[in-house]
Parts: sequence; structure tokens; C-alpha cells
Amino acid sequence: MKRNRKMINGKKTSQYVFLLPGLLMFSFSVLIPLFNGIHIAFTDWNGITTDYNYVGFKNFISVFRDQRLIDPMINSIKFAVLGTIGNNVIALGTALLVNQKTGKLSNIVRVIFFMPVCFSSILTAFIWNFIYKEVFSQLFQIKSLLGNPEWVIPAIVIMGLWNTCGINMLIYLSGIKNIPVELVEAAKIDGATVFQRFRKVTLPLLAPAFSVCVTLSMTSWLREFAMTLSATRGGPGGASKTMSIYIFENLYTYNKAGYGQAIALLFAVFLILIGNLVASFFRRKEVEL
Amino acid sequence: MIRYRRYSKRQLRKLPVVIGLLLVTAVFLFPIYLAVITSFKTPLEIADSIMALPKTLNIGNYVEGMKKSNFARSLLNSVIVTFPSVAMIVLFSAMGGYTIARNGKNNRFLKFMDKVYLSSLMIPFQIIMIAVYKIFKELNLLNSLAGMIIMLTGYSIAYATFLFVGFVKSVPVDMEEAALIDGCGPYRAFFIIVFPLLKPIAATVAALHVMWLWNDFNIAVILLQKDEIRTLTVKQYYFFGEHVSDYGMAFAASIICMIPVLIFFVAMQRYLVEGISSGAVKT
Repeated sequence: MKRNRKMINGKKTSQYVFLLPGLLMFSFSVLIPLFNGIHIAFTDWNGITTDYNYVGFKNFISVFRDQRLIDPMINSIKFAVLGTIGNNVIALGTALLVNQKTGKLSNIVRVIFFMPVCFSSILTAFIWNFIYKEVFSQLFQIKSLLGNPEWVIPAIVIMGLWNTCGINMLIYLSGIKNIPVELVEAAKIDGATVFQRFRKVTLPLLAPAFSVCVTLSMTSWLREFAMTLSATRGGPGGASKTMSIYIFENLYTYNKAGYGQAIALLFAVFLILIGNLVASFFRRKEVEL
Repeated sequence: MIRYRRYSKRQLRKLPVVIGLLLVTAVFLFPIYLAVITSFKTPLEIADSIMALPKTLNIGNYVEGMKKSNFARSLLNSVIVTFPSVAMIVLFSAMGGYTIARNGKNNRFLKFMDKVYLSSLMIPFQIIMIAVYKIFKELNLLNSLAGMIIMLTGYSIAYATFLFVGFVKSVPVDMEEAALIDGCGPYRAFFIIVFPLLKPIAATVAALHVMWLWNDFNIAVILLQKDEIRTLTVKQYYFFGEHVSDYGMAFAASIICMIPVLIFFVAMQRYLVEGISSGAVKT
């Protein structure tokens, strides 16, 4: 009896001990900064000194009056729209292509499509910068798209698509593979054309994959940071400056960490709201089998 | 008769698919091909014709690139930062995921932590960026590889744990229960019986995180400001900024640094593919 209780006790404690190391790390690098960040937003901390004053809601009021914030906001939305559409069209298209049974070729191609994912966003930006600047000028005699305020965002989106489409392709691919063959065959027997089958059978059954891919790609494009920073530093003339770059600049360039944190907080709330909205939109379209 | 006709139709339909596959492959491979051929060219050759193959296999770029870039040091930094972090991520998340999956139903705190981990996946990095900088500065952890390892590990725990929770739920309890009844302690039971069963998901988590941590820029650019401590991605960021026009050398240096990741990718490709296609859709 005594031994039994001891064992239960040991087991009970072990439940927490197993969780502890991970939880400690997580608290230190996510939870504590998260709560700490909320309080920085109410200060005038410049990012350098150790002392600062509390300024109440001043930072949040300034966010709504900040003229310089408008362009980054519009740019981030442009990135999100172009990037989300491009990413999902290409990812789904390549997934459908790879899914066609062509033996070994599809397997090799799947690996090749995924290969750019190994490249860091910095290297991606550098390679494409080279393509835009040197290759395009030698082949078509045009100046780099990255220097053109109107084309800079689509040009960066293309680099990003090359770099990240592979992940969504795999998600769509596994979604397509999970569609029961009987359903497609039944539609075929009923005389549905290829497009009808795609529209009425494949697309609705892919809704779970859509909710993951669209939400992920959209929120990550809204947060676009590293590739753009390294390709153009937000230029030319702020034409590709995103929200994340603007927040980063407030910390490192303008020395307004407190203000930057206020923007970051509002931005995060916006991201979580829009992410949930899009996810629930696609969730409603999911069908039960 | 009918069968025969269907078969030949399919054969025919394959042709456009094959052509399509080859075309898209070419588009995806083009930038990589370009980087490789350019790395062997002299600046004169690049200016002359960008698409042409290099006339000789000029390895001068590689020699000079390694000398000038100091990439060797950054490569080492990336290795020092990535692998211990991934080891900790796999171990800690396996433990956390195990206890959440097994005891989450009866233990309110564990259930709550499961929710906390899940919701933390939605938080954009920007919201903790400035605070992380402040805390690490106060603790003198800026410009320290140890600080970087702690940050990367902590930041990755939530997603990795989430993947483990899903997997552990599908592992039968019989074996560990038998071991526990036979008097085996819970820790021994975990490390000797359960952990080996988690190998597939552990491989996936490891493969995904090696890739992500190796390429991390957001955290590294905040925490690592000094040149000698920079990881490869940040180093590349500053190096490319300085040597915008010496493409041959810059590509040569980057290709050398890509080799470890590419080898790793080819070796772990199966786990990456499996992990992404099974783990992510369940989110």
C-alpha cells in the first residue's frame, strides 16, 4: 500500500518534470518578452539607455497620427495580396502536376521544387537581385525591377514565391493524395469533365489544405521582413518598406523602441484577427466525408 | 477494347504533363544554375555574357571568397548555434509533448499549457522582438552564441511540442504501462521505452528545425551585432551589402556554405516531406 502511493506520487511529479525544461526555455524566450513588450509600449524607451519614463497611451495615440505609417501599411497589404494569390496558385498548380503519375520524374521534380526552400531568404534576395540587375539588363535591356517603385513589390514577391512555394506544394500534395479515388472515379462515370471534377470534387475536399496554406502564406507575407530588407532595404524611396521593416527601423534607426513596440502590438492584434478570420472562412467550406 | 483505349488516352495525356513538369522545373532550377555558373566566372566573363557557361573552371572566386568573407567563422557559428539547439528542441519537446499527450486529459495545468503553446504559434515575432533585445541586453546575452541558442530553442519549443503531442497520441500505452507496473520509474520508462518509439516524429522535428534555424535571420539580426559572432545568414546579409558587384566571389562563398545544408537536405528529404505533409495540415 505504502509503496503504491509512493509510486503514484512519483508519477504525479514526473508529469510536471517532463514539461519543465521546455516550459522554462519557452517562458524565457517567448512568455516573458511578450509581457515585457506590453509594458515597453507604454514607455518612451529609446532602445539604448537603461532608464525610461512611462508615457501612458501617448505611443498608441501617435500610431494613429503617424503619416509615415501609411505607406508601410499599404505595402504590406500589397505584398500579402500578391504573395498569397501567387503562392497558392503556383503551389496548387505544381502539386497537381506532380500528382500526375509519371513514375520517377514526379519524385525527382518534387525534390527540385522543394529545393529552394533550403536557401535562406538573404541568399534568395541576392541571387534574384543578380537576375534582375544583370540578367534582365543583358537579355532585355531593362533596368532592375528592384529600382522601380512600381515594380519593386511584384519583383520581391517573385523571389519569395521561388523561395517558399515548395512548402505549400507539399501540403496541397498530401491533401490531394488523401482524396478517395472512388469519388473522382464516380464523378468520371457520371460524365463530369476534368474541370467539373476539379471544381466540384477536388477543390471542396482540399478546403483543409486551403485553410492552412492561405492563412500561413498570408500572415507570413504580411510580416515580410528579411528578404525585402536585404533586397532593397525598403527602397527605392520607401516603395517596398513593410510594417516589419518599419518596426525594426524604430528600434535601430530612429531610436524609438517604445513607439515601435506600440506599433508591433497593434500590428500583432491585427494579424491574429485577420488570421482567424481567413482560417474560419475556409473552415466553413470544409466538407465532412 | 475499352481498356485498351483508356490506356492509350492516358499515355497521350502524360505528354503535356511531362512537358509542364520539365518547364516548371527549369524555372525553379534556373536561379540555382545561374549562381553555380557565375561562381566560376571572372568579372569580365560575367560582363561579357551572363548566360554562357564559364570558359574554364576558375576556382579563384572560391579561394578569394573564403579569404575575404570570413565565412568559415560564420559557418562554425551557425553549426555551434544550430545543432545544440535542435538537440534540445527535440529532447525537451519530446518530453513535454509526451506528458501533455498522456496526462493532458486529467491534469488541468498540462491542458492549459497545451493551449498556451498552441496560441503562441499565432504570435508574430515582431511583438517580442524589441523586448527580447531589451532583456538580452540587460542580461548581457547580446552577441553571445549561448544567448542565441537559448532564444532559438525557446522560440521553437511550442511548435515542436505540438508536433510531438499529435504523434504520442497515436503510440499505444501498453508497453510503458507494463513497464511501470513492473516497477520501472517514469523517467526510465520514457527514455528506454517511449523515446525510441518517437523516432519518426523526432527525425521530422529535427530535420525541419535544422533547416529553419540554419536559415534564421529575424532572431540573429537582433541578437548578433558583432562581426565575429554572426551566423551565416546575418553574415551574408552584411557581406552582400558590401560586395554588391563582385558576384562571382559572393556566389562562390555562398555555394560553399550551402553545401552542408544541401547534403543534409538530400539525406533528410524524406522526413521533411513526411513531416510537412502530415504535421502542418492538422494545424
